[in-house]
Amino acid sequence: MSDRKYLVHPDRPEKIEYCKNCVAPSSSAIPLAFDEEGVCSGCRVSGQRDKVDWEDRKNRLARLLNRYRSKDGANYDCIIPVSGGKDSYFQTHVIKNIMGMNPLLVTYHGNNYTPTGLKNLRNMKEVFGVDHMFFTPSIHVLQTLNRMGMLMMGDMNWHAHCGIFTLPIRVALQFNVPLIIWGEHGFMDIGGMHSYNDFVEFTYRYRHEHLCRGYEWYDFLEAAPSYGESLEKKDLITWMYPSDEEIDRVGVRGIFISNYVPWEANVHGEMVKKEYGFLESEEPFERTYRRMSNLDDMHENGIHDYMKYIKFGYGRATDHTCKDIRAGKMTREEAIEIVRQRDHIKSKDLWRWLDYVGWTEEKFDQVADTFRDPRVWWKGQNGEWVKDNLWDE
Amino acid sequence: MQLRRLIPALFIQNGLIVRSEDFSIHQIIGNVVNEAARYNQWNVDELIYVDISRHQKYDARRDDHRISSFSSIEEIIQGISKVCFMPLTFGGGIRKIEDVDVRIRNGADKVILNTGAYETPELVEAIASKYGNQCCVISADYRMVDGSPMLFTNMGTRNTGVNVLDWIRRCETMGAGEIFLHAIDRDGKANGYDFETINRACEATRLPVIACGGAATIEDFIDVFLDTPASAIAAGNMFHFTEHSYPRAKRELKREKINVR
Ligand SMILES: [Zn+2]
Repeated sequence: MSDRKYLVHPDRPEKIEYCKNCVAPSSSAIPLAFDEEGVCSGCRVSGQRDKVDWEDRKNRLARLLNRYRSKDGANYDCIIPVSGGKDSYFQTHVIKNIMGMNPLLVTYHGNNYTPTGLKNLRNMKEVFGVDHMFFTPSIHVLQTLNRMGMLMMGDMNWHAHCGIFTLPIRVALQFNVPLIIWGEHGFMDIGGMHSYNDFVEFTYRYRHEHLCRGYEWYDFLEAAPSYGESLEKKDLITWMYPSDEEIDRVGVRGIFISNYVPWEANVHGEMVKKEYGFLESEEPFERTYRRMSNLDDMHENGIHDYMKYIKFGYGRATDHTCKDIRAGKMTREEAIEIVRQRDHIKSKDLWRWLDYVGWTEEKFDQVADTFRDPRVWWKGQNGEWVKDNLWDE
Repeated sequence: MQLRRLIPALFIQNGLIVRSEDFSIHQIIGNVVNEAARYNQWNVDELIYVDISRHQKYDARRDDHRISSFSSIEEIIQGISKVCFMPLTFGGGIRKIEDVDVRIRNGADKVILNTGAYETPELVEAIASKYGNQCCVISADYRMVDGSPMLFTNMGTRNTGVNVLDWIRRCETMGAGEIFLHAIDRDGKANGYDFETINRACEATRLPVIACGGAATIEDFIDVFLDTPASAIAAGNMFHFTEHSYPRAKRELKREKINVR
């Protein structure tokens, strides 16, 4: 049980365990389990990928897609939620250009695209020749949700996690298009949450519990006055998940194509750069060495990820090196060095975000400190924050 | 005719729901209370929770979640009973009648036990006399060994050398109310149910038999109800990851004229 009193207790919490194969910590924000050999479920499930009969999977996908293809061409065949990132390109490449479906692309625009991210997004409808729906909630509401998310759960980007996984479902209902094609199951990819035999699909519970952390629009509506914010029900339509009855009426179903097509981000990244003109970030990020991820939200790689470090003691450099170790692109030693250099950085994204929401850095730090997980952090002799490190093993 | 039941069976490890495979691989699925709340919305017949923690350590792992942590099995059961209004069966680590008392007092309607019943058969009688036979569900976990279904205890690690069918007959005389027939070999494999053992178990006892292990699709449920007299089917993993899996399964079963609620 977590007990806030340990924040100032001289005794340290139980030691963090790290995966023997990659660098994933037991304090992982996403569900991750260690087996008796000390190897994490993320590594184990990623190892299953080579044993999957991908030819068979592709046939299954073809059969599934055929069931949803519009009979008379009077409607879209499916919906692909896209951010304009390399994964969006890959999904659209598979669904439109390999499987011959006619998708409707749907984008939740959280108002903070990097210039490169926006170029990539606009480029999609050109290179794929598809219809694209582009949706931006009110900026005033987005700013409010940024502040409230930070105060309620130490995450300014709740609106984005929730929006990305709500808007496409609302569109599916409104356009009467039951099939939604997601890319990879994020928690299965990093944490090994499911087996490849599960053919896991999108569910409300996964969205509610894991992507939205158990919070819904009505929690924000209810909490607004206590944070000095004003929100009305009508401001929050974007984040309202449809009822079970509505979902059943259209038969909405979301599949992850990582169950049907081998998913290897490094390979896809290179392919979509070459074939479709996808651009990497011109500017390097401070907290990760990869330049082709999370271009859709300029605060995602810096400040949102910094909060993960504040809470759980690790950041995106850890996630990215884990993936690269599993893909055989990096040794564990190289990963440790990258994590040592990157995971703790307070990046300049923070100042951009402070301007966006009108906060001071002092206020941010105060709020951030209340979210330090006592399973990870304790206070040293001089009152400084201390945690276990990968390189101290 | 008796209504046949469809029961989600959930496994808890250190305070979180896990996906189980072969009783040995466990991947974390999420929060026990959230899961129960969703099953409540789906109006399920009943829920079976089995705590498979090796150490008495309970932790929901994240503090930035709306649902906060637990520190004991009591807190977990209470949390579930608050959001869930169907019969609840709780199991795992039950060795003495006091363990049963704790679970019933905090909101469980029935208990389920495997090792405890094998090592201390008097416990089964004690539960039956204190709470009634219907309160005591025996988890008959078995693996196929040289073509025979053998009873295993200690989370599938110890072969008792007892044929599971003989064990089921004994459980009935000891006062058990129900048999949870769990095929360890099929756990998390999605390779279909073990029809032969289910049928033989149903012949061996007058107690209701709940068949578990091997579900991949709704067709598997239909087949068990059509080809065996099992009074209930339980499944773990598959309910976790397809939307409306439970209500959809119920609809399909009704369409096949199977007598479900
Ligand atoms: Zn690992």
